[in-house]
Amino acid sequence: MATPRISAYLPPDVDPTKAALAFGRRALPKLNEELQAPELLTQQRALMALCDLVHDPEKVYQAIALGFLDSLKTLLVHQDQTVRQKTTEVLSVMALHSIGREGLIRSGVISALTGLLDDPVDICRKNTHQIFDMLAKLPEGAGGVLRAGLIPPLVLKLRTELEEIQELILETLSNCLRVEVSEALAAGAITVLKEKLSHPSAAIRSKAAWVLLEISSHAEGKIAVCKEELIPALLSLLEDTEPEVQVSSAGALMFAIVTPQGRSSAMGAEAIPPLLSLVAEETSKARLNAIKTLTLLAELPEGRQALLDHRDTFQRWLDDPSEAVQRAAEIAIAVIDWKP
Amino acid sequence: MVPTRAPELTAPADLPYSFYSQPRSLGSRPKYREQSNAAEKEKGPVHYCNIMIDPRVVRGNVLSVRHPPQSTEPSTLEVKRQRRAQKQGLARRLTQEQIRTGTPEPVEGREHVYVQTELYLEEISDRVIEVDGECQTDEFLDRPPTPLFIPAKTGKDVATQIEEGELFDFDIEVKPILEVLVGKTVEQALLEVMEEEELAQLWSHQRAFAELRNAEFAELQRLEEQDRRIREEKERRRLEHLEKLRKQKETAEKIAARAFAQRYLADLIPSVFNNLHESGFFYDPIERDIETEFLPWLMSEVEETLQKKVLGRMMLDSLIRMVVEKRLDEFSRPPPSDQTEVPAEEPRETGAASLVSDEADAADQPVEEKEETDQPVDED
Repeated sequence: MATPRISAYLPPDVDPTKAALAFGRRALPKLNEELQAPELLTQQRALMALCDLVHDPEKVYQAIALGFLDSLKTLLVHQDQTVRQKTTEVLSVMALHSIGREGLIRSGVISALTGLLDDPVDICRKNTHQIFDMLAKLPEGAGGVLRAGLIPPLVLKLRTELEEIQELILETLSNCLRVEVSEALAAGAITVLKEKLSHPSAAIRSKAAWVLLEISSHAEGKIAVCKEELIPALLSLLEDTEPEVQVSSAGALMFAIVTPQGRSSAMGAEAIPPLLSLVAEETSKARLNAIKTLTLLAELPEGRQALLDHRDTFQRWLDDPSEAVQRAAEIAIAVIDWKP
Repeated sequence: MVPTRAPELTAPADLPYSFYSQPRSLGSRPKYREQSNAAEKEKGPVHYCNIMIDPRVVRGNVLSVRHPPQSTEPSTLEVKRQRRAQKQGLARRLTQEQIRTGTPEPVEGREHVYVQTELYLEEISDRVIEVDGECQTDEFLDRPPTPLFIPAKTGKDVATQIEEGELFDFDIEVKPILEVLVGKTVEQALLEVMEEEELAQLWSHQRAFAELRNAEFAELQRLEEQDRRIREEKERRRLEHLEKLRKQKETAEKIAARAFAQRYLADLIPSVFNNLHESGFFYDPIERDIETEFLPWLMSEVEETLQKKVLGRMMLDSLIRMVVEKRLDEFSRPPPSDQTEVPAEEPRETGAASLVSDEADAADQPVEEKEETDQPVDED
């Protein structure tokens, strides 16, 4: 007789595509044995059951302690596409947890996943890139991706992959290039990113601009950005309708015009009016980046002259609720008022 | 009979037992006696026997007469009692047999025969009547299909009809089921949504942090750049200043050196001219001409003349010598006396000297000087 009390257990799982789970602590070891079984059906059913279990952080911890990652690594190169797809899905859900991420980095799953970049099945590739994306958000993960020499293949894939996967690749690249940028520059990343800046999708544009931001935070990146004449392209993105794109492009400009060549090319491309319009908006997220960019431009004599007229705009932002914007506004005013 | 032994070993009156030994649980008896030694040596765990199968335990009706078990060394009292009991039993049996008599002996001429007196006579023999019988099954036939089993109708037929709303109210009853179903679904959905939300929250947090970090980083780079420019500017100016100082010093040195050199070389030209003049670079051309051409020619002519003179003198010398030698030969052939030779030689010498002096008068003054110098040379 059904009672209105909701039980503490999940409803009984009678999915025939999933393997039966043993009770309690025996569940995961039995699944591990089933994963190594020679029959295809057993492996598939075990993987399906594992996918559901891995949403629980405690199960992730137990799985990694039991050495699941080694059996999963061998399954990554299986011929059957369902097996591969489910394995990558399991790994990507594991990567959502902090313990899972650490375990994945430690057991060298990144190098095992490099072979899947050219997989014919879309979902496998998407899951692989999701794993890279999650792992790259950690500093050790970004280091691992760089050490596995993944940057040149990723830059190449940026041209040919589907849009969703491109977004994931761009996120991965932005996190990895924060650490080191020479490999990407050697692989011609800037040219590819220049194309992506004019992509119809707003997400790709903003992510590409974010990658350029990370590239130009390094010295050699700045030189490359100036050489490839990306500053006019970034300036045109400042007038984009999407706020995300504006934020990213303002940030990229902020870093790129630290060098004198960048500054002069920005002044030559009339950077000040769009930046001022960004600053003037009250709710724009790009305010901080725009104020910083204008500070940089104010160090040039022409810039200072132009910005002296707009000094009161900066005065307004001294009372901004965000502390960072206040500080930036103070610094900007100090730079504008500086006399040699 | 209650066996009573040494009264001092009996239990005191307050305890319920009054037997010889206190009750104790018995250990199991080993099956083979040889093992007892081994058991003593090992001192293994004590196994208590199962009293149900232990032969030493008395079982059965507690109210019946029971003889105690024969001990190995019965005492004399025990033996006597046993024999007495046996005799009494035997006597009792005999008396009972005598009371019940058997059938009397047959009368003479008659024989007793055993006859059956039941209703049906039966043959009594030791041998049992046996009959052999056999049977054989038929060849296998297929099992016929089971006929449809329709149980016999039992009981009475009764019909009933359930109107709507009589058994249960669907809407009320289905509520808890629906609640469970919907609740579970929504719970699962909420879990998934929470997971995604958690992640989205984390990423937005990270993004905000990344923005702040980027802003600060840009500021840092700007200040670095500024600092670099200022330092470069300072360095350039310093180098310029050093260059200026260096040039100044160089110029001062140049001036000093020039002044010194000028003063040093002020009297250079007069001294140079003096030296040249002294060494004869400024010459009078006529004088030079006379010196270079005329005088050498003169000297050579003089030399020629002198050589002629010398030649002449040599000729003369040779002539004189020849003459003298001839004279010597002439005078040496017949050597008249030594005195004539000596005065011949002296006049010869004086004659040579006078010839020579005659010759000398014809020469010039310088030639005489030269001859005089020649003579001492000859004499020497």
